[in-house]
Amino acid sequence: MSGTDEPLLRVEGLTKHFSNDEGLFGGFKRNPDGMVPPVVHEPELVRAVEDVSFDIRKGETLGLVGESGCGKSTLARNILQLIKPTDGTVYFKGEDITAMGGESLRKKRREMQLIFQDPQSSLDPRMKVGQIVEEPMEAHGMLDDEGREVRAKELLAKVGLDPQHYNRYPHAFSGGQRQRVNLARALSVNPDFIVCDEPVSALDVSIQAQVLNTMKELQEEFDLTYLFIAHDLSVIRHISDRVAVMYLGQLVELADKEELYENPQHPYTRALLDSIPVPDPRSSGVRGVLEGDVPSPIDPPSGCRFRTRCPELIAPEEYDLSATEWEETRAFMRAIDRRTVETNDPEELRRRFFGQVPSGEAGTVVETALDHLEREEWEEAADLLVAEFAEKSICAREVPAYEITPEYGSDTHYAACHLHRDEGIRLDPKTGERADGVRTADSGTEASESASAVSDD
Amino acid sequence: MSEEPLLKVENLKTQFFTEDGTVRAVDGISFEVYEGELVGLVGESGAGKSVAALSVMRLIDSPGVIVDGEVTFKGKTLVGYEETTGEPGEPPELVEREEMLTEEEMRTQIRGREIAIIFQDPMESLNPVFTVGSQLREFIELNRDLSGTEARAEAVQMLREVGIPEPEKRYEQYPHQFSGGMRQRVLIAMALACEPSLIIADEPTTALDVTVEGQILDLVEELQRKYDTAFVWVTHDMGVVAEICDRVNVMYLGEVIEQANVEELFYDTKHPYTEALLASMPRPDRTTGELNPIRGVMPEAINPPSGCRFHSRCPDAREVCRRVHPDLRAIENGDHDGDENGRVHRAACVKHDAFDVGYPESEPLENEATGGFEVGLTQEGSR
Repeated sequence: MSGTDEPLLRVEGLTKHFSNDEGLFGGFKRNPDGMVPPVVHEPELVRAVEDVSFDIRKGETLGLVGESGCGKSTLARNILQLIKPTDGTVYFKGEDITAMGGESLRKKRREMQLIFQDPQSSLDPRMKVGQIVEEPMEAHGMLDDEGREVRAKELLAKVGLDPQHYNRYPHAFSGGQRQRVNLARALSVNPDFIVCDEPVSALDVSIQAQVLNTMKELQEEFDLTYLFIAHDLSVIRHISDRVAVMYLGQLVELADKEELYENPQHPYTRALLDSIPVPDPRSSGVRGVLEGDVPSPIDPPSGCRFRTRCPELIAPEEYDLSATEWEETRAFMRAIDRRTVETNDPEELRRRFFGQVPSGEAGTVVETALDHLEREEWEEAADLLVAEFAEKSICAREVPAYEITPEYGSDTHYAACHLHRDEGIRLDPKTGERADGVRTADSGTEASESASAVSDD
Repeated sequence: MSEEPLLKVENLKTQFFTEDGTVRAVDGISFEVYEGELVGLVGESGAGKSVAALSVMRLIDSPGVIVDGEVTFKGKTLVGYEETTGEPGEPPELVEREEMLTEEEMRTQIRGREIAIIFQDPMESLNPVFTVGSQLREFIELNRDLSGTEARAEAVQMLREVGIPEPEKRYEQYPHQFSGGMRQRVLIAMALACEPSLIIADEPTTALDVTVEGQILDLVEELQRKYDTAFVWVTHDMGVVAEICDRVNVMYLGEVIEQANVEELFYDTKHPYTEALLASMPRPDRTTGELNPIRGVMPEAINPPSGCRFHSRCPDAREVCRRVHPDLRAIENGDHDGDENGRVHRAACVKHDAFDVGYPESEPLENEATGGFEVGLTQEGSR
């Protein structure tokens, strides 16, 4: 069921920025400097989705996973043109749908459907399920009244509901059954592509399994292509063929399901996989591997957006640090930056963080920071450490985008992490293309073969 | 090794008297919590796990009423009923026993001080118009008879304890300035502030992202070791159960249907419902083929099925299951009696030898699990 190589949907450099410039007081901020009037107009941009590129092949399920606020749903709505992207292109069956508008887009919508998370609020409580399922057909002028009723009943049976319930209202159904009504409605216009936005998150596990099984059966029967969005990595592993991981508006990794789960190459993916509670008391869990909070998408970190929390932030090339020295310095910098230590006594701090304070330039920086701390100048110390260590790292200076050789399967493995700068092939972070213009996200076996060839030179 | 349990719940029944009928949300459950132990209360939505947790604290509001049962905590009777010998010919009535704590005593002696509770949604548990610090300080002042300044110092210390950076600065901030995980940390700080012997946690990590959930679980385990607090952990997530619980109670439709330590629950499952629940979960650590969902939907607690409540969806159901209502019984384990603490594995399923009601001879039952897949309507729909 892993689909053919022909992409049904191609997303290129998709970007969505929201501005808080709307509304009566939108974009106004209090100015602390005693200006009259004491406000300034400084609209901020929320960079919800930034330069996302991928393909979805006909007949496959692409899982999209990420934590809340990472932009998964915004991305989905952008793909369907429910909100217009700020930048980037979406090709559906080879046609650029971002350039479409009005009637031509409306016609195209028949081929792309969406299923929402909340089965309660996505069904009109005053409509009978029959009407609900027929409505999209009516909107697209499919069949006559009778034909629609016949089809609606057929579809209800297909999704595992009793066709006799055609005349019932949504409230008479349980959560799982309502989600089946949603499925029937989406299927009514015979789409090729369905975006499922957390379709089973609101359901209990036993019901969730029923709905997931039905979705898989329907996919085979109707040759559907799914973009399946979820935050639950277990569900994603079960349903997907390939999986994309998102963090703070960007794709950090995309690979074949088996490859992604068994051979994750981005530190964020690894952290995410390590934090899932495994339903097995004998599995040794590593938990809470990630420290700190997700930064604001208003002012995201430069370069790799994950770098502020990354346990594997790369040492700046300027300093000649051993692995241990860098690890200690990094821990020290983060502790000061996040204020997770209480003491400001240099001796104590040296003892706690360093076996031996690094020598040379890096050591000078650490010592200066310790001097600041002794004078209780926390901010200065933190700023200095971040400027000298974090900001000078390649992770802060360049946006990562690499293609690496997979261990499982033949699909390409995209990882946005500079740890792969030696063996991986550098891609254009905006379009996901190689320097020679070959797109990697869909070129399958050929790509990985030539991958090794390119990385040799 | 039969020390007294810290909390003992026996035959607890909580019902909701609604227009549609009596909802038997918790229907005669019994379980124990020993000192320093992390006990899971697990089940799907509607199983009655939250109501059970709230009943222990006597936090059930109308139309809900605790109608029967006994809850003892450190020798105190939190809930206790006895039958009166009423007028001849009249049915005996249940009345509160004399030693049952009054509402006043519950508030001043138990809630917050001896038993604390953490809810799922930290935003709803914190007042948005007061600073986090002042709420924490107030709680400490009220419950520990400290002066304002002492309580403040204590509050800052608690914030630090639960891993909130810059606690002095955070003390002055409002709940909306905290992330979800940080808010849950504040609630944990509040729960721990009086060093209670038991904390009831009602789905405290369900609303959190998985990486944050991991941080909170780590924190709870660390604090539990430090303070030796016992926990009742209400959750629907078998993954969380496997990670942190010592013993587990699995609930289905208001009843505890299996009770075991976590190792035995996963590796020597005795109740078909627990088995089905485990089989229906996709796994993060391996690729699963077809999932085996539990057929049908959970019946409504207003009108539970006769006999074993799971019989309508049970793949092992036989005719006898429709007639006999199984109680929770110790299931012999062959090689050992109970775990190292002498706590036994209990299950409410007549297929085990402990129940001698003729299961082996009984006819297999046609139901949603054994017959074809029919999606039944919920209660309202069929009316």
